[in-house]
Amino acid sequence: MEQKRILVLCGGQFAFPTLQTLGLEKFLCGVGIGKGEKEVLAVLEQERVTNGLTYKSFPDKESLSDLKDWIEELQPDYIFSISFPFLLSEDVLSFGEERFINFHPGPLPEYRGPMPLFEVLRYQEKETAISVHFMNPEFDEGAVILKEKLAISPNETYGELAIKLSERTAMVALNMAHMLQFGSQIPRTAQDENQARYFEKPEVADTFIQWKRMPADEIISLINACNPWNQGADTLLQGRNIKILSASLSENQHTDIPGKVLNVTPDGEIAVSCLDGQIIHVQILAGDFGIQTAERFAAKKPVLGLLFNS
Amino acid sequence: MRKTHSPFDYMMQTIGLLLPRSTYYTGLSFDIFEGVRSSLRHMERDTIRLVTENIGFGTDKQLCYKAAEELIMHENATVVLAYIGHRMAQVLKPLFQASNRLLIVLDAGANVPHEWPETPNIIYHSLHNSFGSWLAAKRAANDGFSQGGMVTGYYDGGYLQTWGLCSGFAAAGGSIAFNHATGYNKDDFSMLPLKEHVEKYPKGVLLSIFSGDYVQWYFEGLKDLFGENHLPVYLPPFAHEETMLSNAVHPGGQIKGIAAWSSQLNNPENTIFMDAIDSAGRTPNLFSLIGWEGAILAARASDLMLENKNKVELVSNTLNAFSFDGPRGTVSFHAPTRHTLAPLYETSIQKDENGTCSLLIEKSVENSRSDFEQFITISTENAISGWYNSYTCI
Repeated sequence: MEQKRILVLCGGQFAFPTLQTLGLEKFLCGVGIGKGEKEVLAVLEQERVTNGLTYKSFPDKESLSDLKDWIEELQPDYIFSISFPFLLSEDVLSFGEERFINFHPGPLPEYRGPMPLFEVLRYQEKETAISVHFMNPEFDEGAVILKEKLAISPNETYGELAIKLSERTAMVALNMAHMLQFGSQIPRTAQDENQARYFEKPEVADTFIQWKRMPADEIISLINACNPWNQGADTLLQGRNIKILSASLSENQHTDIPGKVLNVTPDGEIAVSCLDGQIIHVQILAGDFGIQTAERFAAKKPVLGLLFNS
Repeated sequence: MRKTHSPFDYMMQTIGLLLPRSTYYTGLSFDIFEGVRSSLRHMERDTIRLVTENIGFGTDKQLCYKAAEELIMHENATVVLAYIGHRMAQVLKPLFQASNRLLIVLDAGANVPHEWPETPNIIYHSLHNSFGSWLAAKRAANDGFSQGGMVTGYYDGGYLQTWGLCSGFAAAGGSIAFNHATGYNKDDFSMLPLKEHVEKYPKGVLLSIFSGDYVQWYFEGLKDLFGENHLPVYLPPFAHEETMLSNAVHPGGQIKGIAAWSSQLNNPENTIFMDAIDSAGRTPNLFSLIGWEGAILAARASDLMLENKNKVELVSNTLNAFSFDGPRGTVSFHAPTRHTLAPLYETSIQKDENGTCSLLIEKSVENSRSDFEQFITISTENAISGWYNSYTCI
């Protein structure tokens, strides 16, 4: 049986383990890269020179006008989309019904949208999933073929989860390629629209710590969900924008107002009061001063008694 | 040719069974099948429909996939038992995920996965040969041996049970001083290179990985070369096949090991199992055992699939708390890896009145669950197996 040829449309490094795996297993026939950064394009160019990889860059929406012709030229059996930043038009999808398969890095239909990793962490889910589904002209709405679940570790950051998902996606993509290679039919389940939620790309309002409304665990989850892509969760200190990159829950309690710096611990962490009587210890902050440990930040600026978001 | 179905077939609970073949051990699929069938009969679960498909040596991805697809799509099996390894289970995984079905992998445990699996669609019922090898080597080190020689053959040595053996010895403070891997044809099978090693390491121990006829050849080789003065020998579970041992010449000296099962285990379940297989005209062994126990799991899983409308995750999580008393003792789940665990036994191989081997069960391994938890944390690092086939399917 002839090996299936798979074109991967992707957005950058997240898909690299998949490209490597599908390449090694001789499924990969080309790579389309959307909004590719220079470093990513340099790697692909190197692969083109040394291993004959076929790739094409789609830096913006306008460039997608070439996509259909390129696909027609390559004639892949299937097209895998892995964090490709653009919606594919009906015209592109008309290349073949059931030939376009998306690997969504979150549970569907509950976490539709461009950044499900942020949302599952922010909402303190214990597990997430790679949802593999057929594509239609709407974002993340096609029938689901399978969901590969994986646990979210306590205090896992966006970056850590992304690496884990990236590696697991490679395995799922290979499994999917085998399924397409050997299967006579691909089972699928329509998404339950009653369970569906779509999350837009997070804005400042989503990444901002609401000290007066959020309990400690929610704040820590938000901080982890913003690390590193947003350089941490946003807050204000004496009118200046500050980002908190890392914090942990203290065993101590308080009776003060939320968002107040209670003390600097012997380890140099900044202890901040939270709405629910819990205290969080801030370890790393960022701002126009750069990225600093809380110890260094507190050494330069007296913080005791200061209120966040005031 | 497409099989014909009675309309009632689709109303019955159906368990699928993917069976490999083996030219080395021709009775393998018959033994597994008889184990499953006799077990269902013993449980009075004759209403469960059992459908089998052949998967060759368990190496052909397409053949395995198509066979599993046939069982799920056309035979309406909600639970499929398959004698395959972890790698083939990975190939079948998306099919079971996409169709909401449960795969129960019946595994010799000769290989070790590089990542312990966690998908609810696959559970593993293993004879844990690699873990048993790890324990056998650990036992040797705990018995006071610090210099080990790994002795294996071309076939057995291709599995990561060799890694299990070496890492178990190292974990208990020993170090591997030499290795010998012999050919797998009778003409190529030689223990001669051991002579030089043994002279160099007279206080060493032979950490051995052989199964089936190779054990007989191994013992003959030791006897021919060293008489009764060979280094002490430690064996993994698959070297404890009792029919084979009863025909093997005992080479003298000390032979110990770790076994997964023995006909001598004195419990009512073992008696029932052996009587059932005997009365079906076959000799009970590790393969009929794994089929027998697999059927108990499959019947329970099939009931749960029916009760829970094929919600596999719910079924799988419920099975995590399921345990049963089987021929080798209580079988229960290790939930994080979705593998079953059963007692393992410390053994010694005795010389009987005919000069051949007989198995003596000394005691069950203490704390085997915590040992297993330690075992799964050890990274296989760069150890890779080139064997895709199910163990002994050559």
